[in-house]
Amino acid sequence: MRTLIVEDEASLRDQLAQHLKAEGFAVDCAADGEEGLYFGREYDYDAAVIDLGLPKIDGIELIARLRSEERAFPILVLTARGHWQDKVNGLEAGADDYLAKPFQMEELLARLNALIRRSAGYASPVLSQGELQLDTAKKEVRVTGTPVELTAYEYKVLEYLMLNPNRVVSKSELTDHLYEQDFDRDSNVIEVFVGRLRKKIAPVDLIRTVRGQGYRFVTDAVA
Amino acid sequence: MNNSIQKRLLITTTCVLALFLTITGWVLDRSFSTSVVAGAEEQLRLVIYSLMGSVQERDGRLSFTQGVAEPRLTQPDSGLYARVANEMDQDIWTSPSAVTSGVTFPQVDASPGLFVFSQVDAPVQRFHLSYAVIWEDVDTERVVFSVATDQQPFRIAINQFRRSLGIGLGAATLLFIVAELLALRWGLLPLRTMAQEVKELESGERETLSAAYPDELVGLAQNLDRFVAHEQRSRSRYRNALDDLAHSLKTPLAVVRNSLLDTGVDKTLVAEQLERMETSVTHQLTKASAAGPVVVGKQVNVATLIERLLRALQTAYVERGIDVQLNLDKRAVMRGDERDFMEILGNLLENAFKYTRGKVRVSAQSVDAGGRIRTHIGIEDDGDGIPEAMRRDVLHRGKRLDEFESGQGIGLAVVAELVELYKGQLQISDSELGGALLTVTLP
Repeated sequence: MRTLIVEDEASLRDQLAQHLKAEGFAVDCAADGEEGLYFGREYDYDAAVIDLGLPKIDGIELIARLRSEERAFPILVLTARGHWQDKVNGLEAGADDYLAKPFQMEELLARLNALIRRSAGYASPVLSQGELQLDTAKKEVRVTGTPVELTAYEYKVLEYLMLNPNRVVSKSELTDHLYEQDFDRDSNVIEVFVGRLRKKIAPVDLIRTVRGQGYRFVTDAVA
Repeated sequence: MNNSIQKRLLITTTCVLALFLTITGWVLDRSFSTSVVAGAEEQLRLVIYSLMGSVQERDGRLSFTQGVAEPRLTQPDSGLYARVANEMDQDIWTSPSAVTSGVTFPQVDASPGLFVFSQVDAPVQRFHLSYAVIWEDVDTERVVFSVATDQQPFRIAINQFRRSLGIGLGAATLLFIVAELLALRWGLLPLRTMAQEVKELESGERETLSAAYPDELVGLAQNLDRFVAHEQRSRSRYRNALDDLAHSLKTPLAVVRNSLLDTGVDKTLVAEQLERMETSVTHQLTKASAAGPVVVGKQVNVATLIERLLRALQTAYVERGIDVQLNLDKRAVMRGDERDFMEILGNLLENAFKYTRGKVRVSAQSVDAGGRIRTHIGIEDDGDGIPEAMRRDVLHRGKRLDEFESGQGIGLAVVAELVELYKGQLQISDSELGGALLTVTLP
């Protein structure tokens, strides 16, 4: 999952980035509203964490501008003052959830994961498709109830595909959303991961290859 | 342009006064002149009557052989003249005064029995009165009695009157202006006093305005007092909150610092102390930043505010699919600072959303309790309710707020404190939905 963090306080920004990376997120950081707006416009994110008190462009305005440019990724706002006025203004500007500082990292991660799930249309932290179950909280995958051992990258690929069902996801999109650094785009690393993943979750067969375009995770209904 | 009340009043009343006196002067002058002229006419008429009484008729001719009753007619330059003429305007008789002064009488075509009065301006200003009679046994058809009098004595009287009138009115004007200045000084004295007292308030020489203000200013003075009291309360609240904050932060800071001396930091201890500090900061800052009941209170529509908060909460809690039943009186209002009410209702609604199993009910209405509007807001859910111990803690303030753990307690404690600030009531009871029912009543 690629996340944007817009926070002017350097130490908090670094801490957030560190924890999110540890949780397997790809992270971009912006130190002010202007930079945040640039990133938000240029890249496609799965979620953003935006502080309300930002230099240059205020958090509320940043959210409103991103939304007016039809950037639809879920946004979690951080408010330092914790006033309801701020929370309501943030949500009215287009944010999806709020968290008052100081917050606990676990709480932030849980909220962020919930937002990402929610935007993909899953109500529960356990993403379920037929015999396949992916528990986003425990980072655990089960097929017909039996746990399956996945590497961190395999897990990320499966999670991303399940969160973007019935849609062709290109290899470069997977790279963009799952990895910090740019991979060599021509390498067949993704193909290798997907191949192993398919074998591990067999007999579930929901990941389809769309020739020359990428992969599509088909839900039961469509399959 | 002119910002002094005194000047404004003075200018308007002086203008009105000037207009009033001009009209009065003019009317008085006119009436007096008219009555003087009427008096002159009356005098002349009496002279004519006396002439008619003095006339003798012998052999068809009229004469004044026994003299005339009016002595001025026989004195030269007496100012009173008379002539009796026939219808051909031929003299029958002319008074000696007229003869010596060479007074000529205009020919008047007077109908018998009618007095004809006229004013002549040249060569000398005179009043003329003529009266024609038909005299039996006299060889003329008509006898015309004409009398004239110089206008000068009358003019002198009029001029004298005008002078006294002018002096009188002028004196009245001066008196009025002086009286008005005094009245204004006296009338505006409370305002000047108030300005002075406000200055003293600013400099801290006094704490409230004096009570002795006239009815018109009592409201303003009271509002000012409330304003000042409110400001003082806010200031002391800031100070107290900052003191409390400093106090409540120092202990955990000391604990954490000392724990660094130990080998190996006790994470649980640090976490505990951080939690304490966090709660303190949240609570004290909320308390300090609350505006409290404001003097110049804005009306906040309860339904609008609740709906706005609910929209925001529904966004954040969308996946819970919470069913909210609303029973809001659209006219319900609260007087005070919107942000405070947002804090109160936001915390209560968020708690309901957090602890509900799926159903939340919100009701609000304003009732008129003997002239004062009271607003009742009820927020209930179907969660587990609030334990008895926490209710006591929140409502009876036995427990210091800092001792609450974060979560429902601190939010409720903040609400309780804000409601108290507004002299309202917070009640915690059981909802028929199964969870907690929180009722806020605000004056």
